[in-house]
Amino acid sequence: MPEQLWFTEILNHLFAAPATSLLRTLHIEPKYPAAPISNSFSMEVLVFAFLLVLFLLLRSRLSVDRPGALQHAFEGVEGFIQGQSEEIIGHHSEGYTAFLAVLALFILFCNLIGIVPGFESPTAVPIVPLGCAICAFIYYQSQGFKHGGIGYLKHFLGPMPALAPLMLPIEIVSHLARVLSLTIRLFANMFAGDMVTLVFFSLVPIGFPIPFLGLHIGVSLLQTYIFVLLTTVYLQGAVSEEH
Amino acid sequence: MPAPDPTPDRENSGRKESFWVQAARYSQLAFILPAALVVGWLIGTALDRWLHTTWLYLAGILLGIVAGFVELIRTFLRDAK
Repeated sequence: MPEQLWFTEILNHLFAAPATSLLRTLHIEPKYPAAPISNSFSMEVLVFAFLLVLFLLLRSRLSVDRPGALQHAFEGVEGFIQGQSEEIIGHHSEGYTAFLAVLALFILFCNLIGIVPGFESPTAVPIVPLGCAICAFIYYQSQGFKHGGIGYLKHFLGPMPALAPLMLPIEIVSHLARVLSLTIRLFANMFAGDMVTLVFFSLVPIGFPIPFLGLHIGVSLLQTYIFVLLTTVYLQGAVSEEH
Repeated sequence: MPAPDPTPDRENSGRKESFWVQAARYSQLAFILPAALVVGWLIGTALDRWLHTTWLYLAGILLGIVAGFVELIRTFLRDAK
């Protein structure tokens, strides 16, 4: 039986049987049939539920005349991401803000949940950053097709038609490498941040780990920013007219 | 004299990236080269298993290295313009 966080234990206690039968329906045999829900998945569910409650709370308190602190905070996040995508993509970037903001908030809370005692960062497990990177990949490719139609495929064929058979596999590998690059960067930084905090906490439990918790928060913010920024850069490449 | 078209200026000003955008773009160069190599190797290995060959993983690695360098050179050229 794997080591489980208290929240994972609750989820496994409630949903182990349906989760195992669902996996078996999909011809996947779980490693631990009594506990098929992993810590990283349960932390993702927790972040998802937290964001959902936060958005519902925000929606119920929206006010044009008297915006509250929560509304100000989220307007700040939205404005920052909007400004960023305006700088990179240019005009007509408003349509991408919703996806980028949700991606940023999800990754940020997944990173930060690790500093709460009793929880751990799901982004310190490779499968979670990989999921986020695949979402970003699917989104920017779909926006490329939506914006350029079938002509978007020209992005994969290079500038000269004669070189197209050579450029196509190169471009495919290059685009798939972006997914791996996004995944490894986020995973490695969060894993290293967790390990450093854990090592210093086990050496000197009082006082000394606090700077490293601060470092963890800094790394969490920076990695979220870089992930969203690079997704915006890839979006710009997909929806731009040049090539 | 006709008024100048504002669109090219706006386009040009849109290309001036801030320090943070350029930093993020360059930071990915450290990852993109090994990532492209690994992706090429994975694709080659998958093709080897599918087609029962033994050499496609090498072709995949070479393709990954080329793809990594193409991305690297493209990023440098974009900023050198």
